[in-house]
Amino acid sequence: MSERGQLLERLRATVRPEEGCIPAFVYTHPAVYALELERIFQRSWLFVAHESEIPAPGDYVTRHMGEQPVIVSRGEDGVVRVMLNVCRHRAMQVVRADCGNAAHFRCPYHGFTYASTGQLTGVPFQADAYGDTLDRSQIRLLQARVERYRGLIFATWDHEGESLDEYLGAMKWYLDLVVARGEMEILGPPQRWTVPSTWKLPAENFVSDAYHTAYTHASLAKLDLVSSTGFGQAGYHVTAGHGHGLGIGIQHDGSQYPPELHATFARYLSPDQLRILHQVKNLHGTVFPNLSVLIPSAVPVDGRLVSGTTLRLWQPRGPNRVEILSWCLVEKDAPDSWKAASRTAYVQTFGTSGIFEQDDTENWEAQTRISEALQPRGDDLVLNYRMGLGRPPLADFPGPGVVYEGKFNEANARAFYREWLRCLLADDTGPPASEAAGGVTAPAAAAGRRRGP
Amino acid sequence: MPESGARPVSTEVYLAVCDFLYEEAALLDGNRLDEWLALLTDDIVYQMPVRVTRERGASDVSHDMYYFDENHATLRTRIARLHTDLAWAEDPPSRTRHCVSNVRVQPGAGPDELEVRSYLLLYRNRGDDPGHDLLSAERHDVLRRVDGAWRLARRSILLDQANLGTRNLAIFL
Repeated sequence: MSERGQLLERLRATVRPEEGCIPAFVYTHPAVYALELERIFQRSWLFVAHESEIPAPGDYVTRHMGEQPVIVSRGEDGVVRVMLNVCRHRAMQVVRADCGNAAHFRCPYHGFTYASTGQLTGVPFQADAYGDTLDRSQIRLLQARVERYRGLIFATWDHEGESLDEYLGAMKWYLDLVVARGEMEILGPPQRWTVPSTWKLPAENFVSDAYHTAYTHASLAKLDLVSSTGFGQAGYHVTAGHGHGLGIGIQHDGSQYPPELHATFARYLSPDQLRILHQVKNLHGTVFPNLSVLIPSAVPVDGRLVSGTTLRLWQPRGPNRVEILSWCLVEKDAPDSWKAASRTAYVQTFGTSGIFEQDDTENWEAQTRISEALQPRGDDLVLNYRMGLGRPPLADFPGPGVVYEGKFNEANARAFYREWLRCLLADDTGPPASEAAGGVTAPAAAAGRRRGP
Repeated sequence: MPESGARPVSTEVYLAVCDFLYEEAALLDGNRLDEWLALLTDDIVYQMPVRVTRERGASDVSHDMYYFDENHATLRTRIARLHTDLAWAEDPPSRTRHCVSNVRVQPGAGPDELEVRSYLLLYRNRGDDPGHDLLSAERHDVLRRVDGAWRLARRSILLDQANLGTRNLAIFL
């Protein structure tokens, strides 16, 4: 059996999410990481940007899907496209800035010029170099399939799989609380920093782990920044399908949002969503594989309690490294004072210097380092993911998905690894049917390789 | 650019500024954070803007997002947190070395203020890591004389990275 075949057998035998058993080796095994890049990041819907980051025609940002560089571009026609930031000639990186506005992109190597749609429009000395053998109209930067949900721009290399709407499924109802409670906008560029941790640990932490806040973030209770009830388990643990999930901490002291925003929320959300939003103390979640959302507990800013809302991407940068992008999201029509206070609350509590977040990286770095050191042990360190196993869900929660009373549960982590394993063990063996490349249609054999259900 | 032999401020003032910056660095490296806080004015503004990669000539410093965006109260909170013995990010503490150099001093907005720029090379090491993080930055400061002593009234930190190579900013620059 090939090495790849042996690894798949090992995963089948040792990764048992239904029993709450996850072996420590999967955190950092290099061949597992290679499988993740091929079978998760090459196929899933991946978040790339928020619409408010590229508001005008010609605006672009450069991001990554997995480890691959992409351009997220709003063309002159207003259409958002996501394309591989790779010249079709010699795989040079075409756009080397993080953001900007341009009608076209010119590769610095041989000067191939692409419109902001990705279409090849210029080739230097074309007649001398190519005669009439090069048809520019058949060549463009490789396009991802792009769909949007409430301002979130997603892209995938799987042109034939399910739609974004189907992919998000029940998670949409909860995402609305975070990204669609009004028209939202991103403040400034994302914070960006690199941590010596596998991408899976923060993704898993945000999807499932309310239990750690009482101890990892214990300093906050000591400072009275969060009341001890903020670490309690009042709330809900929601498994939303497809590996997505979230936890909602609930309070009954009144909405943590200023009254001037309530009318907007009522217009955008259903009555059930609105009621939940006004009870939110905090909310943490992950859209599989690596987009997380967070409404943190409110903190005092200029005499009132303010909460920032953050999106983040945990970008894989090797089996033991993650590049984190962290955005601050605010209500677009809120008064400037609220936006400024939200930003202050966000910088204070989360992100690189966030006092609610700094301590997490200590855990993730050590877990990652230890997982690497444990590799020679084989499969004898199986981690306990059994919290809440067998607990019955609520029957009458107004939102979709499988919802459990109380935040202390690991059902979402089990569901995350269930989806993770399903992706890694998918029956098809090659990349999904990709779009026709440069005038040459995809080979007939590739058309038979479809993504599984 | 000053004419040869002339500085924008007197040698005495220049050396006093260097002394201040070196003393400040020693306090940070010695984990003497309350004493560091005492070097700041009550109206301190302490910021580190996010930087992005742009083409040459375009501004790469954001005015909309920060890694630090602090006033006296938020800095007090950060330091109080580190004193709780529960702030795992710095417990055990990092070993740091704030290497300050390339100090340039100009007169400030008023008679008691100075505009100061300095380079910082911050070494950071934790635990038994044989490696280290190295953060490079330029600091744009305003120093103000208060009761006969220099204090820091404003700091803007221009970090020399768009993708920070350290796990968190639980330390000050």
